[in-house]
Amino acid sequence: MPLLWASLAKIVFMVLMILLLLVVLIWAERKGSAFIQDRTGPNRAQIGGVRLAGLIHPIADVFKLLFKEDVRPTNRHEALYTLAPFIVMVVALSTYAVIPFGDYIEIGATRIPLVVADLNVGILYVLAIASLGTYGVVMAGWASNNKYSFLGGVRAGAQMVSYEIAMGLAIMGLVMIFSTLRVTEMVAGQGELLWGFLPKWGVVVQPLGFLLFITAVFAETHRNPFDLPEGESEIVAGFHLEYSSMKFALFFMAEYAHLVVSGALIAALFFGGYQIPWLPRPLLQQHAGLILPLVMGVTVLVSARFAVLFFRRARRERGKFGDARDREPILMGLNCAFAALLVLLAFGLQPWRIGPSGASLFATLIQIGAFLTKVVFFAWLFIWVRWTLPRFRYDQLMALGWKVMIPLGLANLVVTALVLALIA
Amino acid sequence: MEVILFYFCGALMVIAGAMMVLSRNAVVAACWLIFAFINAAGIYATLSAPFLAVLQVLVYAGAIMVLFLFVVMMLQGPVLAGERRRLRPWLWPFLLLPPLAILLTVAGFLRRADNTSFPVAAPAGFGSAEQVAGLLLSRYLLAFELISIVLIVAIIGSLALGKVDRRQPWK
Repeated sequence: MPLLWASLAKIVFMVLMILLLLVVLIWAERKGSAFIQDRTGPNRAQIGGVRLAGLIHPIADVFKLLFKEDVRPTNRHEALYTLAPFIVMVVALSTYAVIPFGDYIEIGATRIPLVVADLNVGILYVLAIASLGTYGVVMAGWASNNKYSFLGGVRAGAQMVSYEIAMGLAIMGLVMIFSTLRVTEMVAGQGELLWGFLPKWGVVVQPLGFLLFITAVFAETHRNPFDLPEGESEIVAGFHLEYSSMKFALFFMAEYAHLVVSGALIAALFFGGYQIPWLPRPLLQQHAGLILPLVMGVTVLVSARFAVLFFRRARRERGKFGDARDREPILMGLNCAFAALLVLLAFGLQPWRIGPSGASLFATLIQIGAFLTKVVFFAWLFIWVRWTLPRFRYDQLMALGWKVMIPLGLANLVVTALVLALIA
Repeated sequence: MEVILFYFCGALMVIAGAMMVLSRNAVVAACWLIFAFINAAGIYATLSAPFLAVLQVLVYAGAIMVLFLFVVMMLQGPVLAGERRRLRPWLWPFLLLPPLAILLTVAGFLRRADNTSFPVAAPAGFGSAEQVAGLLLSRYLLAFELISIVLIVAIIGSLALGKVDRRQPWK
């Protein structure tokens, strides 16, 4: 029974993490694109004058989308039209089940691994679920009964089927090196050092595989250089053209959920997952009494610095707007000062005398933090690329997929096998 | 738990199969077939064959059915086509066949009551990727290699059939 509760807790944590990151990513996409295009970006939505640099906008968006009229085409295929957004969302969320977000939590004598399902066929499960993702998009395109939607759906289907092969080939190299299909074992294997100084990360042992994988992931999530299924300059909005209100929001959310999951997948397979290079878990646990006060001290300093910056800004911009927005820097400054004070007070608990179980929990938390940092970085990479590169043409996309990626993937496999055979 | 899941997936698969045959719209039929494939994967998973289950989804539900769906969507025309048609009278007796088959199966099970329970537990690691790979590359190596030759022949054949003559682009 405790195992069941642990699983439920992990699932809830996983879904909450994806949904929270998704909100932040929508904000990052809008603010980041504004930054790249030298604009201000969203800054209007506010609660009592607090705008959080546009972070209130997602809340306003959700309310808008929930209460908006659901405009539907008359000649739609009712069942598939309704089902499609759900399939897209379910597929985006369920891929995450096999990716570990931490090592383990020790409660008494039992160790709870921080992965929802440690499947024997781990990485194949990811590929299988990703291949089902095609259906939601294709169904949406067909059931809308619109030529542009249909074109978008067909494009998405052909693109995802083509790039799935390259994705599988890129992963197979890793499977050969770590000789396992379990994602957890792959992440554990990346904690070792190569020749004593280089972390044995996937990107170090499989650089070409990493390039192929990240390209294929861009195509699978149909993000910018490969966002032909949407292609707003050619086919209006592609497969989700005829969707509005919350159904459209589901497609939109699924795209960002895909980003989170893809970022997690890249981090887990090629960038060591929760592993911190040169700082393995035993070392973390051993020196927890030193690292924890250090982390707390840095937190205090950073929060205090931010508080000072906010208070300075409040003095400089006094009466700038002449309404509730003037309060924002003062409120934020108070917030930061409060956080600094709280962490400072926590020093009273004597963090340098942390016990072994506390040290274990601390190591786990630090590793989860490392993993989330990597995930957020790769999610940001997706946004960065989207606002930097132009879109491919469709024949270029197909040529790249079939004539470049797949031969390169096969060559990568052959070379990997040869090297492994020579070493053994 | 696994027994419940097994029968749940089995029931869903039977329903999906029936709906596939009964639906008038070819695209909807294809969707039901996908659903049936996924439930077949569920059955494999509950019968401790996880590798087979994942391959079922990856290959059949994921790849082959996408191509099927493409062809059907391209050829079918408008979304709401198709009128209601009556079953021809001389086909009516055949409606009795499916219930008869189910009845026969149940009767067979009931006659041999000792076979209805599944007392034999699969050994650890049964049906895992390692075991399947070990069998394929040792005991069934010849068949495995022959299948790959057949597949290569099929690929070359489809390439030859699908090749467009560049000098006559209308062909």
